[in-house]
This record gives sequence, structure tokens and C-alpha cells, in this order.
Amino acid sequence: MERILGHTISDFIKAIKQNGGIINSIKVLHRMDAIKLGKLVGQDEFGNKYYENNNNFVCRNRWVVYNEQLSLNYDASQVPPEWHGWLHYKTDLLPHQDPSRKKYKWMIKHTPNYSGTELSYVPYSTVKPKIEPWNPKK
Amino acid sequence: MLRSLWNHNIQHGLKLIPHNTVIIKSCQNLLLEHIKLLATKSITPESTEKSVQKKIPKQPFSPFQNTSSNFEYALARLDDLISWGRSTSMWPITFGLACCAVEMMHMAAPRYDMDRYGVVFRAAPKQTDVLIVAGTVTNKMAPPLRRTYDQMLDPKFVISMGSCANGGGYYHYSYSVLRGCDRIIPVDIYVPGCPPTAEALLYGVLQLQKKVRRMKLALIWYRQ
Amino acid sequence: MIRYLMIRGKTITSYRHGTSINVSSSSKQHGVEPKTNLIELFIDEKAIQVPPGTTILKAASLAGIEIPRFCYHERLAVAGNCRMCLVEIEKQVKPVAACAMPVMKGWRVKTNSNLTQKAREGVMEFLLVNHPLDCPICDQGGECDLQDQSMAFGNDRSRFVDIDYSGKRAVEDKDIGPLIKTAMTRCIHCTRCIRFASEIAGIDDFGTTGRGNEMQVGMYVKKLFMSEVSGNIIDLCPVGALTSKPYAFVARPWENYRTDSIDVHDAVGSNIVISHRTGEVLRILPRVNEEINEEWISDKARFSYDGLKRQRIITPMIKLNGELQNVDWKSALVSVANILQDLSTNKCAAIAGKQADAESLVMMKDLLNKFDSELLTTEQPFPQKGAGVDLRSNYLLNNKISSIDEADVVLLIGTNPRYEAPIVNIRIRKGYLHHEQKIGFIGPPVNLTYEYKYLGQSVELISQLKLGTNSFRAILNNAKKPMVILGSEQLSRPDGAKILAEVQSLCKAINNSTKVPKYWKIMNILHTNASQVTALDLGYSSSLDDLKKNKPKILFLLGADDPCIKKEDFSKTFIVYMGSHGDYGASIADVILPGAAYTEKCGSFVNMEGRSQQTNAAITPPGMARPDWKIIRALSEIAGISLPYDNLNEVRNRIAEIAPHLLKYGDIEPTNYFSQLFEISETIHGTFSDNPIDIKQKTLDQYFMTDAISRASVIMAKCVQAVVKQH
Repeated sequence: MERILGHTISDFIKAIKQNGGIINSIKVLHRMDAIKLGKLVGQDEFGNKYYENNNNFVCRNRWVVYNEQLSLNYDASQVPPEWHGWLHYKTDLLPHQDPSRKKYKWMIKHTPNYSGTELSYVPYSTVKPKIEPWNPKK
Repeated sequence: MLRSLWNHNIQHGLKLIPHNTVIIKSCQNLLLEHIKLLATKSITPESTEKSVQKKIPKQPFSPFQNTSSNFEYALARLDDLISWGRSTSMWPITFGLACCAVEMMHMAAPRYDMDRYGVVFRAAPKQTDVLIVAGTVTNKMAPPLRRTYDQMLDPKFVISMGSCANGGGYYHYSYSVLRGCDRIIPVDIYVPGCPPTAEALLYGVLQLQKKVRRMKLALIWYRQ
Repeated sequence: MIRYLMIRGKTITSYRHGTSINVSSSSKQHGVEPKTNLIELFIDEKAIQVPPGTTILKAASLAGIEIPRFCYHERLAVAGNCRMCLVEIEKQVKPVAACAMPVMKGWRVKTNSNLTQKAREGVMEFLLVNHPLDCPICDQGGECDLQDQSMAFGNDRSRFVDIDYSGKRAVEDKDIGPLIKTAMTRCIHCTRCIRFASEIAGIDDFGTTGRGNEMQVGMYVKKLFMSEVSGNIIDLCPVGALTSKPYAFVARPWENYRTDSIDVHDAVGSNIVISHRTGEVLRILPRVNEEINEEWISDKARFSYDGLKRQRIITPMIKLNGELQNVDWKSALVSVANILQDLSTNKCAAIAGKQADAESLVMMKDLLNKFDSELLTTEQPFPQKGAGVDLRSNYLLNNKISSIDEADVVLLIGTNPRYEAPIVNIRIRKGYLHHEQKIGFIGPPVNLTYEYKYLGQSVELISQLKLGTNSFRAILNNAKKPMVILGSEQLSRPDGAKILAEVQSLCKAINNSTKVPKYWKIMNILHTNASQVTALDLGYSSSLDDLKKNKPKILFLLGADDPCIKKEDFSKTFIVYMGSHGDYGASIADVILPGAAYTEKCGSFVNMEGRSQQTNAAITPPGMARPDWKIIRALSEIAGISLPYDNLNEVRNRIAEIAPHLLKYGDIEPTNYFSQLFEISETIHGTFSDNPIDIKQKTLDQYFMTDAISRASVIMAKCVQAVVKQH
């Protein structure tokens, strides 16, 4: 019991240290609803950091801390697909270790979900228009 | 002609899969070189961090920034407060109609744990803000759906969950099914999937939160 | 020709079946039998009294009992060949055909006895032996008499197992034109189409060949069904043998939405049902109105709906650098409003097109009056000398369409009712067949589907008739109910005022020399444009020459597409076209404001007899198009003189202020002041021009494309092609 508690308390203190002191930890708590201790395993092109702590049970042992510039406007779709696979246990290999992830020229850059912004996708009709408009040039 | 081309491509693709695994298993040296070539980013957090963080500007909490006067500023903050209250306590009414309802239940269960976002199911329309239409809306169910929506108090939002609620889905051509619940009630968020995962629905709820945060009631009232 | 005479020989007592449920009142109306002369009989133990000569089927329908039928039709002669209406009469050995059997005193008819039911099942079985089982791919499915009646009266199982041995009868399909699709294997030989063609349409091309199992309905030779009312046989056909070609495989009737409306392709105002779905007009069907079109509509009304989807103006346009460019509403309206600033008297003008509704007409009039202008006219000029538009009797078909068949002598002057108003022509033909009507005709020789006395083509004939030097005058003098019908086309001639005055004095002369019932009106004008009477009622009293003379700064075309409006005459005028289709009018315009077609707006129209009716919006106008009155309302606001009408009711209240009868939908305000009218007409002096009377629509190919909608229609173009090829 002592060991567990001691372990937890020491982890807690380590976590607070990792998150940059008590005040910063409170900020993180506000933003993330959790203060977690873990090893930084990588960072993607958008500045999101990926952590792993295998002392936690599966489902809680990998997580992402979104770019701090985003403050509270983070969104799950900001995780690029290569990291999504790792976060969701599709693979245990990190993106830069995974040989099946080729990087071709024609691959487009990952975009987050633009719903609700000016860039959002608007469906358009693909059927023939029902009305044939008058063309004065004809 | 076109068909043969297509088939050729499929076969080609199928061939590649065992090919790749052979590479991994057989020659370790080649693999390491391959990895170096393919690496997206190496682990150098310090070096990349600065370059990346310059690209993304700091995003504020409130979407209402460009206020023209002090009074508008005050109203914008009032809007922030209202939308914060609304978005962090969205109580959906259960409207489980088909298989989607099971996923909706999963969202409520501990693994996805919707309660942490202040989302709590209520059984009475008068206590709720959100209507989650989870499943196929049949013609017979359409009037009760509309009545439930009408009984909810403003402000009210609708999440349409799954293909059937979005546009009839699998049952689009059935004689007894409503082709999308947006034919009878205004929908705010469409969650695609058949059925969508609980995660997807939760993501839909978060999208709705974002939408609620963008509502500027006080500002619009003032401007009118 | 033999059938002609046979039909003329037949006396069919009452063609008004269905209108007079109350038997006693109908007999009083016709003055045929006094009340005591009724025959009493019992139908399903229900006592009923009917006049002698009534058939069992009619008597049953008066008693509220429906007897199934295929070949019988109220408006056609009795054929009695389908045998579906067999009923049992007590103390008679065999069942009798109810449609052809006149009632006898004391009969006890049983329409639901075992014998009757067995007879129906037998008939049904015989019909179905040779009827293909292609209901799933048949266009009549859902509105098929055979389907319905086999459900209601047929046997519930089949004895037909012989499909491998002898099979079902198969008949080759006939090609009878671009409008009607035939599947002759489905035909049950009811001969309704044959009777319609020879009685109503007046074209004796349909008939049967062969006997028994070899019998076929067809045209004898490969030929086009050259009628202007051919579409009605689609409705008449109780099965799917005759269906609509443009509507083939488009939709099922139960999926469609139906909106009651009015046809605006001619001035008859036929009642129609717009069948639509997913914002598209799918087909147009007739609606029963005994006063106007009975249950027929013309082919142009029925089939030109595809013109509503073509050549549409869907955005406002402005002419920039000599070319029309798409713009948004704001810039189009502002550019028009700019011209409307600082106008002096009579510097803006408007021309009402063929299909303008009362709402937009009244808004346009108010707008122009605000700018101190009275330059309002119609596309087809109406002479303003004499009574002009002050007396309604000056420009109406005063005698009502429904009483045309009662007339015993009809004089047609410069009009071809067959193409200008096919429904009116059906009425005249009805009078010709059933009431021994005599018809005189002045104009170029045309085929009217009935025999007429051809008087000639000269205008002087009117004067000759008036003075009594023409032999036809004697016939007119002996008539009890004479009618003179003048074509509105003649009024647009330079000597139109003189022709109108001369015809009016002819009518006065006839009136003096005959004993005409008080309610009977001799003087009638047959209009061709749906908006004409509406516009005249609302006081569109100027003329095109006036407009040209005044050199207006701005000219509004309310859907006016007539080539008589020339750009050269209005060289310095800013032309604003407001309408639904890109046609001649749009091509000369400087600004185009997209309006709604008649299926897309609620509008009031007054037909040639002065009956006001309204169209209902079935679908929404396409693109940025809006109902015309709303455009004028928006324009008035930008021009700085807001017209105070914000919704349809307020506009109609304004109409009620000007012409209250325009809002009495379905009613006719009786016309009067004939003596004054005739007096005024005597004051008009002038001379006839030497030109003989001419009519624009002389043959069938000239009938199909007359307005913007039908000119845009592909189906109508195909009809013209087919007719031209036939000649």
C-alpha cells in the first residue's frame, strides 16, 4: 500500500515538475482536464506533442498535447493521420519508424476539420440542372 | 478496356503488400536505410518546436474579438459567459431509434464518458437542450420527433446521428422512412457513419459546443 | 361521313349529366317533361323517379349507386360494347347493359345481386384473358380503370393457365404522333377514343378493323392524329393503351402533388391540375368545370409544360456594351430606378404580354400612375375609339362559353376558334351535332371540324349582312338564339375600330329583326390572349401608336413578346423586360427582370367571357426569379415611391378597389348596357381597308407555338414537325 501510494505521490510530483511547476500545472489542468506524466515520443508538423507512459493501462498510455498556441480551440481532427494510427493502437511503430508510411509528392497536407469556418466543405449538386436558362448570345 | 486497366491496378497493389513485408523481415540494413528515407520527422522537439509555433498564431478563447466600442466589448464578454454556460452543460434528450442508439449509450458509458463535458441524458424534453436523433426516423416516428422538438425549450440544438437520420441512409428508398430528419427539424450537427462510433458522436457533441460558443446573442440583440 | 349523320340523327336528351342531381329542377330547366311524367323504379330497393328515356346507369348514379363501366362516358355517345355495366332486373332472364337500357316503370334493378356479380366477374375474366400483365411497367398504373375495377369486381383468382399453348393476344403498336404513346395490346376495345375523335374532335380517323379476336383499334393507315385536342384521349382511355408520350415512365400518379390552376395559353381559362414533384411540373391534366372546359383541354395547355423548363430567365440581366450580362437583383433594380427619376408626364409606358396576371398588371398601372403616365397598353391592340374599355360588353364574349352550344346560328367573323380557342370550338361542334346549329364564316377558308356556310373573306361582308343584302342574313333573322363571334385579331387591324362598330351595328340589326331571349347576347368577341380581358378591365386603355408617339423614356414589357413591338420605334427608350422566358421581348430589352411563369405564382386571370379565376403556385420560380408583382413592389421602393402593398392580399384589395369582379373567382358578372354600346358604335365613322380578313392560325402547325412558353417547348416543336411532315 505504501509503495503504491509512494509511487503515486512521487509520480504526481514528477508530473507537476514536468508540466512546469504548480501554476503551469493548473493552467494545463484547465486546458486538458488532467496532469499527466509521460515520455515525449514525437511532435508533428502542427506542433502537437505526443506522449507515452506505459505505466498507465492501455487507452490511457498514449496521448497528445495540442499546440499551446491553440489554447482551448483544439480538436481531435488536428492530429495528422500518421499519428492518429499510433494514438489509436493501429500500430506500435512511431510514424518515423514505420516503413509502410511512404511519403509521396502527391500526398496532400493534412487539414483539420473546417466545419463552421469559411473553409468548410459545402456539398454541391452533381445532377443536371432541371431548368435550362436562356442564353442571350445564342 | 477501362475494366482491364482497373483490374491491373488492383493486382499490382495486392502484389505490393507481401513485397513490403518481405523487406521488413529479410534485410535489416536495408530497412534502416529505408526508414531514414521515409522518416517524416526525427525526434528533435527543440529544433522543430520554434519553427512550428511561429506558424500558428495564438488563438484566443473567445471568437468575438473585433469589438468597436466598450459597450460592445462588454456584450462580447457577456456572450462568452452565456455560451460558456450553455456549451458546458448540454443536456441531450435520448431519442434512440435504431442501432445508433447503442452507440449513443456507449458514449454515456465510462469509456467515452460524456459526463466530463457536462453532457447528461435527460428523459424530459423540457429539461434538455440537445436532441440526438439516433437512428432511422420512420414516417410513423416523424410526428413524435417533431413534437419532442417542439416541446424542448429554446435554445435547442439537434444532432443528427448516423446515415439514416442524416438522409435516410440504407432505408432511403423505403416507403416508410423519412429521408433525413432535417426534413422536419433543423439540424445543427450531422454525424456521419453507419452507425457512427461513440467517439464520432462525442466529436459531434464537441463540434456543437464550438458552434454554441460562436453564438453572439447579446451582440446581435444590440446591433438590431 | 356516315357516322356524322348517324350522330346528328341521334337525339341525346341531356348532356348535362352530373350537373343536375336534382331531377325535378333539371327537367324544369330544359322544359322537356313536366314533373308528373316521371317514371318510378327501384334500384337496389331504393325508389327513384327519373324522366323517361333515362338509362339505368344514369338513374343509378342519381340514386348514388355507381355501376362499373369501361365504354360508357357521359360526354360521348353510348356504345354498350364493354358489357361491364351488366345488371340484373327482376323477372328478366338475362342481365342487361345498364348504360344503354332506358328505364321502364316499376323495374327492380339489382346492382349487387349474385347474377350481377357473376356477370361482372365473367366480363372481367374475358377482358383480362387478353390483357397483358404489365401493370408494373404501365404508365396508367395507379389511375387505371381496369386495375381498380378488377380489384373491386373481378374474381380473386385466375383460370388463365394457357400461357404456354396459345398465349395472349398481341397487337402491333400504332404511331399516332409525338404526343400519344400507344400500347395496343393493352386495348380493351371500349372505343372511347374512336367516339371522342369523331364526336368531339371531329376527326374521323380512328376506327376498328377486324372482328372478334382480330379486332384492332387504329387509324387504318399509318397517320398522325391531327387534332388540337388529341391529348384528351389519354384521359379517356380506361387502360394504358393510350398514354402520354412526354410523360412516359416519368412518375407514378400517387407520388405527385396536385395543384389546381388555370391554363393561360389561350383566353378560355381552362381549369387544369398541375401534377408536380420535386419542384418540377411533370404533367398537366384537365379539371372538370362544366361552365368552361367540361373535362377537355387543348394540347397546348396539356403538353407545353416542358417549355417551363427551357429558355428561362433565371437571373436579372443588364445590357452592357451591347450584350446582356447576368447581374444581381440590386444592380438591376437600381439601374431601372435611375431612369425612373425626374420623369415628366407620360414618359414611362408599359405593354402587357399574353400571360400577365392581374396582380402584376395592377401594380404596374399604379407604378406608372405615380409617374403621371397613362401609357398602358396590351400586346394585342384594342380599338379605343367609341366605348373602348369603358363598357365591359364592348370586349367580352358576352354570351358565356357554356351557352355557345345552345345557339342555333353562329356567325364567325375573322376567327378560327379551332386553334384560337379549341374549347370554344368543341362547344360549337357540340351545338352543330346536337342542336342543329348553323354556322356562317367570314375569313380565309379553314377546316373547323364541322360544316359551315362560307361567306367570303372581304370585310364588306359585314356591311352587307347588316344591310340585309347577303343571303345569310335571312338565316340570322330566323334564328331564335343567334350569336356573332368576332375574332380579336381583327381588332388589331388599322380599321379595327370600324370593324368592331360595324359588327356591333350588325348585332343591333339582328336584335331588332329577331326575337331573342332577354338573357341572350348576340355580340361576342373571342380573345386569344389570357391577359387581354384582365388588362382591359384594369384600364390598359392606351395604344401602341400612342406609346410610339409619346417617345417614353422607359418602357416596361410585362412578358410582351410580340414582334409588333419594334426596337426601332423605341430607339431612345430604355426597355425593361419582366417575364419568365427569353424570347423576342427579352432580346430587345436593356434590363431583364426574371419573373415567374403561371405555374409558379398565384395570379388572377379573367377569361374571354369575363370570368375571373386564379392560378396557384405549384412550384417555386427558378433561380433568382420572383413573382412579377413583388418585383414591381421592390422596384417602386428603390425608385422612391413605395407602393403600399406588401402581400398578395393587399394587392388583391387594391384590385378590388379598381375592379371588384376580378376577385369573385369562378363567377361572371353579367354584361349589360348593350343599347348604349350600340349607340356609341353608331358614332364611329371610318372606312374599311381593302385588305381581306386574315387569320394567323389557319392550319394545325401554326397552332402549337404561339407564346413564349410553347415556343420554348420541345414537345410543341416536335408536334409542328410531325404536322409539317404529314402534309
